[in-house]
Amino acid sequence: MGSGKTAEMALVLGRSGKWRALWLAPVAAIVLSGCGSAVTMDPPTIPEPLLEPMEVTVAVRFPENFRAFTHEEETVGSEDWSIDLGRSNEVLFTQLFGYMFENVIVLGPDDDPYAHSLDAYIEPSIDAFEFSVPSQTKTDFFAVWIRYRIKVFNAEGEQIANWPLAAYGKSQASALGGSAALQRAAVLAMRDAAALMIDKLDRETGVGSTRAASRQAAASSADADGDPLPASANEFVPTLARELTDDAG
Amino acid sequence: MMQARLSTLLFRAIAGGAVLTLMTGCVTSRLENARESTTGIADGESVVIMAKSYHLGNHTERSYLSCVEEALARGRTGLNVIPHQQFVDSLFPWFEPRTAPAETKGLVKLMQRPGVAERLAEKGVRYIIWLDGDTERVASGGSLSCAAGPGGGGCFGFAWWQNDADYNASIWDLKGLESAGTISADVSGTSFLPALVVPIPLIARTQTAACKGLADQLRQFIVADADA
Repeated sequence: MGSGKTAEMALVLGRSGKWRALWLAPVAAIVLSGCGSAVTMDPPTIPEPLLEPMEVTVAVRFPENFRAFTHEEETVGSEDWSIDLGRSNEVLFTQLFGYMFENVIVLGPDDDPYAHSLDAYIEPSIDAFEFSVPSQTKTDFFAVWIRYRIKVFNAEGEQIANWPLAAYGKSQASALGGSAALQRAAVLAMRDAAALMIDKLDRETGVGSTRAASRQAAASSADADGDPLPASANEFVPTLARELTDDAG
Repeated sequence: MMQARLSTLLFRAIAGGAVLTLMTGCVTSRLENARESTTGIADGESVVIMAKSYHLGNHTERSYLSCVEEALARGRTGLNVIPHQQFVDSLFPWFEPRTAPAETKGLVKLMQRPGVAERLAEKGVRYIIWLDGDTERVASGGSLSCAAGPGGGGCFGFAWWQNDADYNASIWDLKGLESAGTISADVSGTSFLPALVVPIPLIARTQTAACKGLADQLRQFIVADADA
């Protein structure tokens, strides 16, 4: 059917029409590009942040949607947009946690986190993903919102934090087209999430204190059992260790 | 022979320039500044141009920011400008839209973060200039219609539109961790598009005028005291 129509058009256009059809092809492509687009993200990278890593060993398990995530949306005017984040979140979080913590163990889907010696276990997830395009907002901007959730468990497997964080990125539509702008907005949203986590993760979840807390718990338990204090506890909680030693003396 | 060809080329270039000058729309500009402290810039010191955060509802275009950067660095009296993306990356994550200080009060806390003061000193950053504002189409009118057929095409009518470019620049002096002052540029331009078979665009380059005007004012504002 489609090829028949093309043949018919070629007949009607004649010889000079073929040249016009060639000229019209890019114009048609530009016009049709207004009907939406599919965006595939390359994994973003973040610059090395200015921070002091937290002195903890964490294990992290990424959910399936951190490895493959596609969001599709039909916007006002029947534009179909889809964005494929692929492994972007996994790559970003692995890099980010590598900068934020002294040691990071990335777990596979079936690995037991507590088979490792760790201070905290982190489970990030995506709660929601949304975006807006210029035809919806009547502006020149593409915007992306990602709502992540960070669950933190201590060395004993108790959940100590459940922190929802909303990241936001916005990018102006450019001559390169909407796909590039939407991609940039998504990268900015992920970068926003990274900045937010560097700034507030410890304050919101207390993950940075998990080593001290587990040492303290171990020391208390040793004291209750009458066992000698582990040597390592002296390094990390000297005040507490001194008190305990004095008490024992 | 060669001279005649050169003079023809020169004539065409001058004529082209004159036509381009005549073919622009009307632009009116108002630039104001408010100084809060003395300024000046030494050799080896640099400035950074940043857009205020979109988390605060600001929509300054990237193209405008780049234009001001280029205009400020251009020429014999150009300042040493660090490209904003390079600056933001080198201080990650403390100048991201979410984390960047919104007021000079936040500079003290920022400087206490690990590595920030050292990185700023290493780059020789003396001033951070925060831009906010944007260019908007505020009015338009007229009517223009075009038609095309197998034998050719053409347009007939008259259209016009008015763009307003309103930008503010806040200058922060990192030497005293204080605000040095503000500069505002309010530029309005009306473009026309008459068409009698062929459309003749008379475009008012409103945003470019706001960029050049603001950059000139910024340069004077920063170096004025040093010259005095």
